Formats: sequence, C-alpha cells, structure tokens
Amino acid sequence: MFRKILIANRGEIALRVTRTLREMGIRSVAVYTDVDRAALHVRKADEAARIESYLSIDAILEAARHHNADAIHPGYGFLSENPRFAKACEDAGITFIGPSSRSIALMGSKTEARRVAHEGGAPIVPSGEAAGFPVMLKAVAGGGGKGMRRVDREEDLAAAYESASSEALRAFGDGRVYAEKLIENARHIEIQIFGDKHGNLVHLGERECSVQRRHQKVIEESPSPVMALQPDLRERMGQAAIKAARAAGYYNAGTVEFLADNDGNFYFLEMNTRLQVEHPVTELVTGLDLVRLQIDIAAGAPLPFTQEQVGLRGAAIECRIYAEDPANNFFPSPGRIHQLAEPSGPGVRLDSGIYPGWVVPIDYDPMLSKLIAWADTREHAIERMLRALGEYHVGGIKTNIPLFQAILKDPAFRRGDLHTGYLDQLLKTGINFQTEPPAPYGEVAAFVAAKTAKPKPTAPSTPQLPSTWLTTGRAELMR
Amino acid sequence: MNLIETEPGLYSVLLDGASYEVRVLGNEVTVNGHRFEIAIEDPRQWKRRNGAAGTQGRISITAPMPGKVVRLMVSVGDAITAGQSVVVVEAMKMQNELKSPRDGHVTEVRVQQNDSVNAGAILVLIE
Repeated sequence: MFRKILIANRGEIALRVTRTLREMGIRSVAVYTDVDRAALHVRKADEAARIESYLSIDAILEAARHHNADAIHPGYGFLSENPRFAKACEDAGITFIGPSSRSIALMGSKTEARRVAHEGGAPIVPSGEAAGFPVMLKAVAGGGGKGMRRVDREEDLAAAYESASSEALRAFGDGRVYAEKLIENARHIEIQIFGDKHGNLVHLGERECSVQRRHQKVIEESPSPVMALQPDLRERMGQAAIKAARAAGYYNAGTVEFLADNDGNFYFLEMNTRLQVEHPVTELVTGLDLVRLQIDIAAGAPLPFTQEQVGLRGAAIECRIYAEDPANNFFPSPGRIHQLAEPSGPGVRLDSGIYPGWVVPIDYDPMLSKLIAWADTREHAIERMLRALGEYHVGGIKTNIPLFQAILKDPAFRRGDLHTGYLDQLLKTGINFQTEPPAPYGEVAAFVAAKTAKPKPTAPSTPQLPSTWLTTGRAELMR
Repeated sequence: MNLIETEPGLYSVLLDGASYEVRVLGNEVTVNGHRFEIAIEDPRQWKRRNGAAGTQGRISITAPMPGKVVRLMVSVGDAITAGQSVVVVEAMKMQNELKSPRDGHVTEVRVQQNDSVNAGAILVLIE
C-alpha cells in the first residue's frame, strides 16, 4: 500500500481526498498556487508544495518526487483526464490513481470513444450524414460544454461549425468538431463503473444529471426517477457501460454518460475517465467510499465485492454551490466570505473548500462546495435538502442557493419529470428569487438593524482596547 | 423584543414566543435565511444629492466584479448607442460583456486590455 499520496488538485475535492487518506493512515501532500496559499485544502493536508499552476505536469511531478509521494490522485478537472500526465506518472514510477494513459487517450477522443463503445455493443447516437437536423455539434476533444452548438437548420451549420471549432481550439488546442443527432427532451443519465487491474468490472448504479445550465450539471441525484418507470433499465444501462469500459481495457473509477428517454431507450454519449464531481450521491446510496476504492485498486487490490453484492439504498441529491448571483444573470461573485454557517444534522453531507475569512479567488472555477442530502425516499431527500439549504448561510458573497430552493420546490422537479432542457425552461418562465418572507421577518430585520447600527462618530473616538485583566483571564481559560 | 448577540454579527431574537436567527453584515440583515437590504435613515446624515441619475450628464461603466479586461471595444471620442458593448471583463472563466445604458460619446477610457480590475472600478466614462 502507498505511504504518501500527492493530490494534484485544489478546493473541496483536494480536501475530500485528504480525508480518506487520513482514514487510511496514508500521508497527504497538497499542492497550491500563490493565490491558494491560504486555501483550506493546504491547511488540512499533512504536507504541501507550492506550484506555478495546477496544469503544470513538470511542477507536480517535481513536487511528488521532492515529497517522496508514491502515488498521485488527480481529482477532477485540471490534469485528471490528460493522458500525457498519466503517462508521465507511469514513466516516473509514481502510481497514477486512475485508469491507464492508454484508456484515457482512447476515451478522451469523443469520436474514438463512440467507436469503442459501439464495438463493445453500447447503443450510440446517430452521427454525421445519418443524423438529420437538429444536430448537436461537439468538440472531439470536448468536455464541460465547450465547443458545443445546437444547429436546427442546414443553412446555420457553417456558422455554428466555425464558432464551435474556434471555441474548441481555444479550450482544448484541438478544433475538430463532429455532429451528432440532437435527442430532444432526453435525460442525462450516467453509470458509475469500477474496474480492477485483474479484469473485473462492476457498475454502481446511475446518477441522473439532467438539471443543467449551459451544458453544466447543477443538480445530480441517484437513483434516477425514470428507474421507477423502467425497472430493467438500470441493468441494461449498467451492462452497456461495462461493455464500453471493457472494450477500452478500463480499470479504476469511470463514468459512462448516456442520453435516455422515458421509454427505456438510451444512447452512449461519452466516458469520463476520472472521479466525478457528483460521486458523493453514489457513495451515499451504495455506502462505499469511492476514493478508498480507487486507492486500493491503484495499489493492485481486486474489487472487494461482486456485482450481486452491490446494493442501492434510499435516495441522494447533490447541489453544486457556486459563488454566483442567480438573480443577476448568474454573474460570478468572488470576494471575501465574512460569515459562514454550514448545514448539518441527519442525512446531510457537505464537501466544502471554504471557511469564514477565505477570499474566493477570481482565478478558478466558482464552485464553493457540494451539499448532498440522503434519505429513505426521493421525496424525503428533497425535503431534507431544502431544510439544509435553509441552514446554509454564506455572508459577503452571493451564491446560487436561492436557485436550488426554487428548483426543489418546482412541481416538475418534484415529479421527477426531467430532461436536459428542463432548467432553461424554468429560468425562461422567470423565477422570483425574492420570495415573500413570513410577516414578522421584515419587522425583526428592521428592529435588529436599528438596534445594532453603529452611529457615525461626530468626533474621533479613541479605540477601545480590551482591558489587560480581561485578556489574561480569557487566556487562562483557554489553556 | 428580546435580543442577544450569540457570536459576532449573529443575534438570537425572541418575539411573541417565536425564535429568530438574525445575521447582520453591513446593510444586509438575514432573518431565518431571508435576506433584507436595510437602509438606516439618520436625519443628521441627510445631504443634498448633486445631479440626477438619469439620461443626462456623465455616466461610468464600472466593473461588476473583480476580474481581467479581456476586450475593449471603444476608444475616446467614439459615438456610442444604448446597448452597445463597451468592454468585456472575465472572472472565474466567465466573460461578461458590459454595455452602455444610453447614447453618448466616450470621454475617457481608464483601462487597457489585460488590466486586472477591482469590483466597482471605473472602466469607461460616457457623456
């Protein structure tokens, strides 16, 4: 087993991995850039190394060597799906906690992934000439919604191709774009798979991620509400995912994304060769620690359970909490967090990378934390999430908490009536984020404001220093 | 009304047997999760406002958040129409196009491409 693991990431995921390492008795090495010197993930790790960039393969390998780390966990984003990084780790004799560089390269090309999945027997969305309009243009090297364009008419194709291609070139250094039939009103459902280095592969059920804005997931849940309508769908999708993974010679954690309709049809979209942002919902319904599983498998252990032993229990929902203002066109809202009250209590999990006094930097993704609720049924999980969101207070910056409160109260969401266009439609109807507070709230607010308002001094006042006696007394008590 | 401060900026309020958790941060007061913007009116602080915020006079295009100026679409002397894009500020991987709220002329440009700017910084003046 590994003695020390470097985490090539930042924020909540770096801290989440650190926590598992501590439970396993493995030392953790954080990395940080200058703007992240005061970040929570640095403080909570056993060791830390300064790097120029989270994208610098050389700097991260140098830090790993300097700290004698024997493995690297890439988290998600940054270098996690970069085959050159995985290869560089392999060449340096440091274990990359993930699949082989070959599997990453194979699945990293969307067109290659489609071919491999199709050969493995997974249904794919018709592409190219066969597609017919409307189509979705996608970057071959794509991800995160970059380089994607919906095209409804042939005459719009050239212009859309141009803009998608230039966006893809800027984002991935690869301007290749392909066309896929647009499946309207489809659900985005993905299967979590796990493989070991001995050829065993299992699936851990699905996550429904249909609530999206600009092709970015906003809410994820497991199980998918559609599974109640189609009892055999999970097993059919699970087996299709395993086939695609087997065709790629896959091991470690991976996610196979599908588009699915309410009639039980589904199509392979792409495979993500990393731990996903939304992995906690799977952890809560399976009871597994996916990071521990990743580490054990990377160290050569066989999967400790069979497909038949995987049980799913209850329902879990995740909200991605962002520093952005939903009432003002989702403008980013970086800055200092002056106050913080975090939710807790039954069935609530918070994977967070913030603390009171932390200044959310403008340099990175605005995700602050992930709030996950688990309960025996989907309805109870939604009620629990609403309760937890009500407890969550981030003072000083704006967050998208009000957006989640609106979605979770929406009748269509409550019915599980979801598709990838759901949130755009809801936003178009206009959400009123200024919900009417109960009657005495305004009165209470005004009272407290008046009571606590500091009158502007008319003359310069001398600063009030605490008395020495009082300070000493407190210091004694703190010993 | 019964009020105690339980931690800095956090108050427990009891009113008619009901309990409220109240947070105060600047002019923002949150009661059981509901946010209120509070304006304290102190007659001693009243001042005559100069100029009206309307369609006349000088207006400034300010950065809504800290970020980097990635594109500057105007220069001094340019005629500009309402809704025309003036400058693009990028923060947290998001590009935000700032537009002129009305017609006029660009009288001053205070930033250059690639400048880092703070929230509220004046970028362009229009008259």
